[in-house]
Amino acid sequence: MSGAFTILSELEHDALTELVNIGVSRAASSLRKMVGQHVTLSVPSVEVVTRKTAAALIRERESELLVAVRQDFEGAFFGRALLIFPLASSVELVRAVTGDVLSADEMKEMESEALAETGNVVINSCLATMANMLQKPLTMSLPQVIRGDGRLFFELEEMDTRGGVVLFLYINFSVGGWDIRGYIAMLMDLPSLDALKSLINEFIQRVIGPEGQSNEA
Amino acid sequence: MTRMSVSDLLASSVGLWRWDVRHQTLSGDGRFAELYGLDRLDTANGLPAETLFASIHPEDRMRIRIAVAGVMHGVETLSREYRLPARDGSFRWVMINGRAERNGDGEIIQFEGVLTDITDRKRVEERLRVAQVAGGVGTFEYIQGFGTVSVSEQFCRMIGLTVTDEVALRAINAVLPPDSPPLIGGADDKVDGELPYREFHIVRPDTGERRWIARRGERRMDGPDGGPRIIGVVFDITAFKAVEDQLRSLTDTLQQRVAEQTRNRDRVWNNALDLMSVTTEDGVLRSVSPSWTTVLGYLPDEMEGRNYIEFVDPEHLEVSRAAMAEILDGADLDGFEIQFRCKDGGARWISWRTHREGELIYSYGRDVTEERARAEELSAAEDKLRQSQKMEALGQLTGGIAHDFNNMLTGVIGGLDLIQRRIGEGRLADLDRYMQAAVTSAQRAAGLTQRLLAFSRQQSLDPRPLDVNRLLKSLDDLLSRTLGEQVRLKVVADPDVWQAVSDSNQLESAILNLAINARDAMPGGGQLIIEARNVTLDEAYATRALDATPGDYVEICVTDTGHGMDAKTVSKAFEPFFTTKPIGQGTGLGLSMIYGFLRQTGGHAGIYSVPGEGTTVKMYLPRAIEPAEPAQVRPEQQAHRAGAGETVLVVEDEDSVRMLIVEALAELGYRALQASNGDGALVHIKSQTPIELLITDVGLPGLNGRQVAEIARKTRPDLPVLFVTGYAPNAAVRANFLDPGMEMISKPFAMGELGARVGAMLAERRAP
Repeated sequence: MSGAFTILSELEHDALTELVNIGVSRAASSLRKMVGQHVTLSVPSVEVVTRKTAAALIRERESELLVAVRQDFEGAFFGRALLIFPLASSVELVRAVTGDVLSADEMKEMESEALAETGNVVINSCLATMANMLQKPLTMSLPQVIRGDGRLFFELEEMDTRGGVVLFLYINFSVGGWDIRGYIAMLMDLPSLDALKSLINEFIQRVIGPEGQSNEA
Repeated sequence: MTRMSVSDLLASSVGLWRWDVRHQTLSGDGRFAELYGLDRLDTANGLPAETLFASIHPEDRMRIRIAVAGVMHGVETLSREYRLPARDGSFRWVMINGRAERNGDGEIIQFEGVLTDITDRKRVEERLRVAQVAGGVGTFEYIQGFGTVSVSEQFCRMIGLTVTDEVALRAINAVLPPDSPPLIGGADDKVDGELPYREFHIVRPDTGERRWIARRGERRMDGPDGGPRIIGVVFDITAFKAVEDQLRSLTDTLQQRVAEQTRNRDRVWNNALDLMSVTTEDGVLRSVSPSWTTVLGYLPDEMEGRNYIEFVDPEHLEVSRAAMAEILDGADLDGFEIQFRCKDGGARWISWRTHREGELIYSYGRDVTEERARAEELSAAEDKLRQSQKMEALGQLTGGIAHDFNNMLTGVIGGLDLIQRRIGEGRLADLDRYMQAAVTSAQRAAGLTQRLLAFSRQQSLDPRPLDVNRLLKSLDDLLSRTLGEQVRLKVVADPDVWQAVSDSNQLESAILNLAINARDAMPGGGQLIIEARNVTLDEAYATRALDATPGDYVEICVTDTGHGMDAKTVSKAFEPFFTTKPIGQGTGLGLSMIYGFLRQTGGHAGIYSVPGEGTTVKMYLPRAIEPAEPAQVRPEQQAHRAGAGETVLVVEDEDSVRMLIVEALAELGYRALQASNGDGALVHIKSQTPIELLITDVGLPGLNGRQVAEIARKTRPDLPVLFVTGYAPNAAVRANFLDPGMEMISKPFAMGELGARVGAMLAERRAP
């Protein structure tokens, strides 16, 4: 992980990845129900990086304007979740989500809404599932659609009083045959990360226990 | 999800498994059991679910637990790699793939999958990874149309991207400069088969460093739906590029330096006045310097490609060919002069140096036309000079000759007159006598005319064998006339004198010249002796005393009793233009001409003079060897080896001669003391040193040899004395001052001769 400080051990990282995986799987499931089409979400990797690095990672990969859905969360741990798409991808997503029946103009009107809704489903499912796994409650704010770039999303302008980290995920969506790429990023401060860490460890401990005890949501 | 094609699945032997969630059991097929090291039957029937994790390598177990837990909690697919113990104690790598089917409530109704032994693949991957790291190579795989590229860890590290398995295509191409073609996915990649090798200049996004990356790859049509798939490698060539640059600049400077050197050499080639050329063994001119055009007038393309022989003067073709043969044999020519024809029809003399290297012959020629012309001019001038010398001498003689001629004519006219009168008187009795007298006179006149004509004839040196005696005799007449009344002439001809090689005209001229000099040195009259004798110059004497070639010579001495010359004058006598005569009288060229002609005909000249007593000029003419006569091997006069170490005092002012004598004596076993003049000699004589023999030159500066001997005899009455003189044996100047125990030897003498005389004298003394 370039530019990241290893605050998670390998095992913790694996566990976190799995947790996210679970969350994303649920999100996929929810999205599927929502759009009525085949949806697959992949989680290539999870990285814990600084905000600066997160911005750089985005910049590395994207040259155009980005669209993001932003939701804050609090409870067992605090933070801000972002679902980020390059503009073109977001258009694709909207088209996919709305079933490709709308005209260009209509799509434009619908865009923000569609995005917000999609974002809500994905982020919500993801985070809620994670919280569930960690056996802790988590509340989410309303989704907000913002346009900008990495600098904006990761709040690099702000004075870094809290010294936060970013859980950075690069996701490949596949919705109804459309390949869409995006990123999920969770901004957390260090105390929150610590809290998350201990929860992860609890989870690990639980898992070591007898097999097959399912904790279904 | 890890990319694993169907073919992979089939190729490796897969084990099947099923996880019964409700009953928490795990079952599998034979292969699965084998991989896990379980009993086949038991596995088929079902084992506790925990069995899946039990034998997993400790380092991998947690991960797998978590992954399975993930599935239990909603993740649809399982895909993980882990290690299982193998029978031989090592570990094998396996990959588990599974899918969980859920009902509408999200409950798992089925969770099953495959287990694959990927040990080999792992090893290959490991090797690949190591190879990539070690080789600095990163791999990539790209399906056209996709937004991402599958890359290796090394690839990311090399480009400076965050290490992931999948990288956005855009991210990869973003490291290139704006005007650069893409690293992946560009027009290049539209061709099948091997992709062209390309180099890219990148800026690493992580460090900002500029690097050079090379890419190689292949395009295959085996992607999804049979579409194009591009696989390739990248490697960092920054260091290599740096070396390349260095090399280039080095080469450039080298090229510059070579160019500079070449320019320098070119300057020489272009500006030298001498002709330079490169020829191949066949004589074809491959390259000629610009001076060829300056000297001979041809343009380079009129010469290059043609054989050098085409430019050689026809008269020199033979020698040229011979010289070429020598070059091919391995010899380097130096100073080989031949004429080359010029474009305008003229000819130039060129003196050649050659050097052969392999197949090429490098030639260097100097235009010596001027030099030769000058040499010829000089030679011609010399001839003219000789001629004018002759003329001068002739002029000197003309007075006397005219007088004689007149007399002869008078004899003829007188005789005829008398005859006329007698016939008129009718007295016919003595007519015969008068007629004879007239004829004789006429003949003598004719003879004289002939002589004069022969004398004045311009001829180049023509040395041939001649009879010296006859020549001297024939000059008798002329000499008498030249010398006048006051000088007594004596010509001594030894009948045994050898035939000598010389130019008769020059010799006559020389003798005449010397006679005139002698006459001028004796204003009050005196004696002139001309004699010829055989001499042999041995190695020592010839080379050191005379700077001549050893051998047999006929020596002609012209000796006078004139005022003589001091040592300094003697040393300059042969120099051109050196004269002691006042201005107007003589050119000062006489002796130098004599010296010159003698040297040119293989002879030599020498002067021996005693101021106040006289001078002898000696001409050495090489002995003519008759073809019929076998070369005479002259037995060396055996030197008597005294061995007794007698002390001999040598007094001689001529350094070279003195040293000769001293060395000869030393070799003969004597002890030699030496002095260069009378005073030095007396030092030895007056000392207590025993001296057995005194050898002294007669003509010494200061105290002469005779005087030295006299003084010596005062204190050493029995001291034997051997005088050395430059005069010929018959010279009247040879004084009759030889007392008993005194002898004389003439220069030049062979060392053997000296040794014999010394030995004899010492033997006599011992047994008086």
